[in-house]
Amino acid sequence: MIRIENLSKNYGPKQVLKNINLSFDKGQVYGIIGENGSGKTTLFRCIAGLEKYSGTISSDIDKLKNHLGLLLTEPFFFSKITGREYIRLLCNARNKNTGNIDERNIFDLPLNQYASTYSTGMKKKLALTAILMQDNECFILDEPFNGVDIQSNIIIEDIIHKLKDLGKTVIISSHIFSTLSNTCDEIHLLKNGEFLKKTFKDNFITLEAEMKEITIGNKIEKLGLK
Amino acid sequence: MIINEFAITSNLKKMKIKEYFQLQFKIINRKLTDFGFNPIIGFLTIFIGFIGLSIYLFSKTEFAEYIFILIALSFISKLSEIKRNDFLKFAFPDKAYLVIRIVENSTVVLPFILFLIYKQIFPSVFILTTITLLMALFNFNTTFNYTIPTLFYKKPFEFTVGFRNTFYLFFIAYFLAFMSISVGNFNLGVFALLLVFIVSLSFYSKPENEYYIWSYITTPKGFLFEKIKIGFVYSTILSLPILIALGIFFSSEITTLLIFQLLGYIYLATIILAKYSAYPSEMNLPQGILIGISLLFPPILIGVIPYFYFQSTKKLNNILA
Repeated sequence: MIRIENLSKNYGPKQVLKNINLSFDKGQVYGIIGENGSGKTTLFRCIAGLEKYSGTISSDIDKLKNHLGLLLTEPFFFSKITGREYIRLLCNARNKNTGNIDERNIFDLPLNQYASTYSTGMKKKLALTAILMQDNECFILDEPFNGVDIQSNIIIEDIIHKLKDLGKTVIISSHIFSTLSNTCDEIHLLKNGEFLKKTFKDNFITLEAEMKEITIGNKIEKLGLK
Repeated sequence: MIINEFAITSNLKKMKIKEYFQLQFKIINRKLTDFGFNPIIGFLTIFIGFIGLSIYLFSKTEFAEYIFILIALSFISKLSEIKRNDFLKFAFPDKAYLVIRIVENSTVVLPFILFLIYKQIFPSVFILTTITLLMALFNFNTTFNYTIPTLFYKKPFEFTVGFRNTFYLFFIAYFLAFMSISVGNFNLGVFALLLVFIVSLSFYSKPENEYYIWSYITTPKGFLFEKIKIGFVYSTILSLPILIALGIFFSSEITTLLIFQLLGYIYLATIILAKYSAYPSEMNLPQGILIGISLLFPPILIGVIPYFYFQSTKKLNNILA
């Protein structure tokens, strides 16, 4: 379990996260939704220990960071490192054996090519493959479906279901509502650094409609499209 | 009317080109400032450094003019990179684009041409000028997607990436070692050995993305020791052929060779520690000065290494703790 209490984060005078209280249980999948700049990535970075913050983030896992698989929105790749070497690097970092990489390459990635030459979707799939091979207990997937082809989206959804069955904690952010409603047990709506709403599976359809109202409102009319 | 429109368009083009170069100048100034230099002092240092190194090169080898031309061309080859030029072509009209390419190439090679004129090597001036102007017309990839095989794939990334970027320099080092044995010039052999270490040191010049540190399950101390251990093992693999060959053919100088090898390891450890002591920023002026002084006066490393080590553990503690 991950417990967040009174979490706040400022960048200079700008408060990005405001007094967040939240907990994530084992075997559950959580969705975090919100506009660009609402604080999702900052929240993830705080949980991962990549940002300093006020408040507490605790876990029943000793040193959460060491058991956390973090998929960044835009994974960074060195210019001349192959997909295979990237996986090896991340597994080495966690003292994990990669096993048979080719067998575990379920997205059929060209692992002997430089990862920096991959398309956006392939990079995402490679980064996801690497953190899955690390055998983590918790996963933060920041926009895992972004730029990924439809077939791989289906595979990623199945992977998330499998992680849930294995009792892992999964936290996902996505701008594609259907992918969240297919995978999550709870969805939390974040706006301007505050959690506005928590919704369980039964009410996802209502949430989508409310979200449209909150986030879009009459903005489209303001465009004055003719 | 037509003449007026032409004049306006022409002025607009000139303005756009001027803005482009003003922006380039700002970028260079910002880079110098980030490195800890006042831009004026930075330009002055580059100028003095260029003159000093050029004089040194020409005093050391009869092939200096060819090396000089190659260095100049390697700089302008970076300006011919396809993606960069696609952007320029998209942003500027054809004529303005060509003007930019010619001015950029000429600006970069100008110091080289002036020095060659000073040395009165006019055929090289002609060759360099011609190639510079011709290269403004061509674009090419300076990087290739072909995966270069490396011995260092098991423990990525510094030597894996670094070797792929600079493998030709190791062939040059091995060739120099071969030449030193052929002509019985021990100093050239030592230079070849040092070249391997200098290139290895360059692999640690840029800080990696924090994700690649964050992923590690270890303490800052463990992380640093692992990095140094890998650096030692892989630099040994690269330098060992030269060390053994020189050891066999200059057996009376084996102690000197081992001292240089040891110095190579010490500076490798120093640069790794210096890199993380500045993390997440790049190494800056204070670190550069300390390393520079230690190159001139190695005993200072007794103080510099622990200083970098404690700074590094402090910086890494923010990410690994």
